[in-house]
Order: sequence, then C-alpha cells, then structure tokens
Amino acid sequence: MTGVASAAVEAEGLVKTYRSRKDTVEAVRGVDLRVDAGQVFGFLGPNGAGKSTTVRMLTTLLSFTSGVARVAGLDVAREPDAVRRRIGVALQEAGLDPRQTGRELLELQGRLFDLAPAYASRRAVELLELVELTEAADRPIKGYSGGMKRRLDLASALVHEPDVLFLDEPTTGLDPASRLTVWDEVRRINERGTTVFLTTQYLEEADALCDRLAIIDDGRIVREGTPEQLKADLRERLGVREVTLDDVFLDATGRTRTHVEGEVQEVTG
Amino acid sequence: MTHAWVLGKRALREGIRTPEAIVPTLFIPLFFLVVNVGQAAKIFPGSSTDFLHGQGYGAFQLPSSMLLAASFGSAALFLVEEIEGGYFDKLRATPVRRSAIVAGRLIAEGVKTLLLASLIVVFGLIFGISIASGVVGFVLLVLLTALWAVVYSGYMQVIALKTRSAAATNSAGLIFFPLLFLTPNFVPRNLLTRPMEIAATINPVTYVMEAMRSLILVDLAWETIALGFLVVAIAGAAMLVLSVRMIQTYD
Repeated sequence: MTGVASAAVEAEGLVKTYRSRKDTVEAVRGVDLRVDAGQVFGFLGPNGAGKSTTVRMLTTLLSFTSGVARVAGLDVAREPDAVRRRIGVALQEAGLDPRQTGRELLELQGRLFDLAPAYASRRAVELLELVELTEAADRPIKGYSGGMKRRLDLASALVHEPDVLFLDEPTTGLDPASRLTVWDEVRRINERGTTVFLTTQYLEEADALCDRLAIIDDGRIVREGTPEQLKADLRERLGVREVTLDDVFLDATGRTRTHVEGEVQEVTG
Repeated sequence: MTHAWVLGKRALREGIRTPEAIVPTLFIPLFFLVVNVGQAAKIFPGSSTDFLHGQGYGAFQLPSSMLLAASFGSAALFLVEEIEGGYFDKLRATPVRRSAIVAGRLIAEGVKTLLLASLIVVFGLIFGISIASGVVGFVLLVLLTALWAVVYSGYMQVIALKTRSAAATNSAGLIFFPLLFLTPNFVPRNLLTRPMEIAATINPVTYVMEAMRSLILVDLAWETIALGFLVVAIAGAAMLVLSVRMIQTYD
C-alpha cells in the first residue's frame, strides 16, 4: 500500500495586492500549491510573475491579502514564529552582513535559532565544510566572490536543519561552475530529507533538479506537474516529437522566443 | 533578551570594524566644544558668572557636546544598509522576537555612547572641567548620555524602517540641530529671550541637558536629574513601541 505523502507546503487562494493612492497592483492572484515532503519543487515564471512575492508570503516575510498557507503543517499567518523554526530561507539577493566573517555569520544564525553557543560553533564548522568555505571562514564576507556568498547564504539557511528550504533564484548571476556547485548542494540537502522549494528563471536548472514544478504567470499558476508530464502533455497537444521545458514555459506563459527576450516586468511593494 | 544581546554584540563588532563611522562622532562634538568655548568664554568669565558656579564656560558647554555625540544615530544607517542588502530579511526570517531585532542595535548604540561620553568627559577633565557631583555624578552623566543615544537611535530606526532610505534617514537625523539649539545651549533658561525660553521649555532635550549640566556644575540636584531621566524614559518607551510596531507590520 502506498501512503499519501504529507504536504510540506500548501497554499490555497493566496493573494497579494499592493494598493497605493495612484493604483492597485495584483502581484499574486490566487495561488494554489501543494508540495509533498521530500520533494524538490521548482517554481518558475517570467520576471514580475509573482514568484518572489509568493516565496516571501510563504516564508512569513510578507503578509497576504487573502488565502491560506501552511508550511511544515503550520499556518503561516497564525504561527509565523513556529514556521520560521521549521524553514530555511535564502532569498534572491544573498542577504549577508558584509562586516562579519563567514564563521561569525553562521554562529550568529545558530544563536538566533536558540542553539547553545558551543553547538552553534560546531554547526558552523560542519556547514563551512559542507559548502567548501572552511579556508575562507575567518575572512570578512565583503571579500567573498558571488559564488561564495551564495554558498554561505545557503549554509546559513541550513543552520537549524530546517524541514523546508526556500531558495529564491539561488543561481542567478553565478558563473556555470558556481551554478553546478549550488546544484550539487541542493541535491545533497534534499537527499538528507529536506524539502526544497526553489524559484528559478533557468529552465535547465528546473529540469535538472526538480521532482515537480509549477509555472506562475501574471500572478496565477498556469502549469503544474513533473517536468516529464508537462513535456509529454505539450508533445501530445502539439503533435511533435521533441519538446523542451523551454517550450512548455513559452507555451504556458503565452510568450514567443522573440517576445521573451528583454521583457522585464517590475512589481514593486 | 539573549537574542537582543547576541544581536547587540554583532552591532558592536560592526562598529569596531567601521572606525570611520565612529571617529566623526567623537571629533565633531569636541570641535564644537572648543569653538563654542573659544567664542563665548570671554563673555562669561568663570570668576564673575553666577551660573558657572566657579567653573569655566567649557563646563557649561560640555553637555551640548555630549548630546551631540549621542545624536549621530549611525545605527539607523547601518540598518538601512542591511535592509537594502537583504540581511534584514534574513533576520526577520528567524524566530527571534521582533523587538530583539530593534533592541540589538540600540544596546550597541548605548554601549558605544557610554565609551564616547566617557572620552569626552576625560577630554574635559584634561582641560580643567571638573564634575561637581563626583564619581556618582560621572556615572549618571555618561549613563544619561548613553540613554539619550538609545532614544535618538530609536527615533532614527523608526525613520529607517518607514522610509528604507539612507538619504531620508540621514535628513531626518538633522532634526537634532534645531532640538539642540532650542535649548538653554549658551546660557541658562532664565536668561533667554521670552520666545526662546518658551521654545526651550517645550523642548524635551532641555531637561536632559539641564540634568547633565547640574551634574557637572552643582553636585547631585536630584529633582533636576530625575526630570532628565524621566524625559529619556518616556521618549525611550515611545520610540521602542513605535520601532516594534514598525517592524511587526514591516512587509
């Protein structure tokens, strides 16, 4: 008998509307999601589609206008602190304190999650090793390269061994070698049992890492399934032999290759 | 409290690693002390000016310089930097109390100002100023200065959280200059013109300055001292409530 996997992330009718005197922007227009525990879930979409806004709502950083969200079985709106204890967050910009060293940052992060000082230090050593930053551990973060900062940010999100790890465009701006290193880390983290919720603009990244994915466009989920399912559906619908995830993305978002190039939508808070 | 202290230690490390942000906090108040004394000391000779209680004019001016040192509010600018760089969100994603995130920087600002205020007093002592209220008075003097720094940094943090802009936060900090000059800055309140006297009486900074001045010039005048601490306590509570409310509703 196959058991039903528990949900690590669930959202129903999630809406975020920004209102100003001049206008109203509906950044997220009713997102329904379910991510099973243990999965790597990819959340794709063009710029300004609502990816980061959704992640910020699920990680307690942004209030939502309406809807319900549960992460690790906990209500995000009602129990934000309990949710924070169960999640790790690495946002789009590697949020690091440039004046601290890598080791100090990880130890501090551990202390903020109530780890005892000695354990926080041991955990920092483990994580620095995991992300291959042991040699740079006592150097100020402001001297780290982009890839090193991303890896440290990832490590800081893992200090308290979260159940669910949210990674918002973790490889944006990285060179190919650093990107592959982050991919390896994500796989390793997931193998240890952590559910990974990953937003990305790189379709090959989603194809390589994700068990399931959803595509959001204009604040709404427009496709959801495994990469293989989504490709098979489009293959069948178009009657062609080969389709890539790029084709699925373009089909789902109603964009053409020419149209996508250079298109940027901004949603501001 | 543990989280606030851990974050406070981090902010102190940040201060130590950014001496270029601390040096002006010490240099500019000392500069004003020297310039103000140089300009007015002859008008108010210690031997014949009652309100100086036998000391030189530098003793009268010392509180202004200490309050100026306590009102730079660099903590709020570091906070804006942190908001812009994303580390603030990293902190918000941890399960620490929102008040601890605000209090961490304020604790560091208080500790830093204890040190700066002590250095300014030592500078004054070297140039002949004495603290009439002795060691207890010295402790109360630097403590009151540090608490004022906490209040003022609290105000700056509210602006930083509201505007998320370094320029706006910096500009808002300049309000200290009118506040400082609408006080009995150069002469006691009873010697001010009537409009200035009214303005100084309304201005809460006046009571902090008068408490500090009494500690330097006239021993332990408890009523004046208590009024200074009361103003700081009320303003501090208001700033803490505002800061916490601001961070709790921060999106």
